[in-house]
Amino acid sequence: MRRHTRRIFNICYRFTGNRTEAEDLSQDVFLRVYRTLGSYRSAHGGFATWATSVTRNLLIDHYRRTKRDRVTDSLDDKMPVVENKESAGRRPDEQALLGELSMQVERALTRLSPELREAVILRDLQQLDYAEIQTVLAVPEGTVKSRINRGRIELARILQQMGVRPA
Amino acid sequence: MTWTCDLIEARLSDYLEGLLQGSERAAFEAHANSCADCAPLVASVRGLVGEMHAMEELETPPRLVYAILDKTLGPRETVTGWQGFLNVIRGLATPKFAYGAASVMATLVILLGASGFTLRKPRLADLRPAAIYQNANRQAHMVYAHSVKYVSDLRVVYEIQSRLRQDENSLQTTPQEMLPKSSPEKNPGQTNDQRPSQPRQQNRANEISRQLELLAADLPMLSERSVR
Repeated sequence: MRRHTRRIFNICYRFTGNRTEAEDLSQDVFLRVYRTLGSYRSAHGGFATWATSVTRNLLIDHYRRTKRDRVTDSLDDKMPVVENKESAGRRPDEQALLGELSMQVERALTRLSPELREAVILRDLQQLDYAEIQTVLAVPEGTVKSRINRGRIELARILQQMGVRPA
Repeated sequence: MTWTCDLIEARLSDYLEGLLQGSERAAFEAHANSCADCAPLVASVRGLVGEMHAMEELETPPRLVYAILDKTLGPRETVTGWQGFLNVIRGLATPKFAYGAASVMATLVILLGASGFTLRKPRLADLRPAAIYQNANRQAHMVYAHSVKYVSDLRVVYEIQSRLRQDENSLQTTPQEMLPKSSPEKNPGQTNDQRPSQPRQQNRANEISRQLELLAADLPMLSERSVR
């Protein structure tokens, strides 16, 4: 269970960029998994793939639900602030552990569209293969490849706008 | 086929994941290396993918697992009142706890004994740190003195035993006619009234007393004992 918890927590964290939200969402994911365990069939792939699929659906629901809040937040973000929102929610030891580039990548990820973000997270951070991603996202393989490719290019451009150039 | 910038962008992930082969790969590289727009894009995406693969997963917060268990299986039952008290007693009645308690008690008794505190006549003054230190110091010195005395006594006993053994060996080698003649009336080695001791026994007793005198002269401790 700990292995699944860690994986699901990480997916939630990379998607939201917020530790507290990721913890709450992880709890919701497990609650949903627990309640819908009867509907799990091996045809969905392995249990991990099925749980990832549940996570992804919940994240998208959460994204749609909180869209209005984020619009307000983005207006606030245009005001000058001393410290950015992500680093404010992070403990100092985490800041020390994470490289500067990794932190910038995390921040850039939250600026990607949810479709591209989930594809990049599953491929490059969770390192799932195309078939697994296809099952999780329930889209054709061509769409998966296209989203991953566009997501990477978009992310590189966002980083470039942020003044970061991955070598 | 002519490789345009749009095509390079569309096939960039295929190239990075090694899905382009032969002529396609060569054409991709030819364009990417010569195009001022595509070269930095390919380099930055390659660097980004490498960075993301190297990013480590975050550790799960410890409270998250318990929160999930509470949310899925419900909060853990908290028993109160008599039931809780009985549960505590039941927990204390395990052999593990009994062994632990017994060993703690034994340690306490030993420590109290060493500090001079007697349970028969408990005095509050004995529990003062200075008194505990004094008593413990005295006990330690007494234990040391006893052990030194015990070792010395053992040394004496071994000495006597070895002398006796030497004596026995010398007696076995002595011829019968060389033994001193003695009368039953003046026999110092006599053990009972019915049967007088044999000349050999008498000789041995004489020899032992002589050896003990010699030993007493050598060892002052033994001479004190003999005086007592």
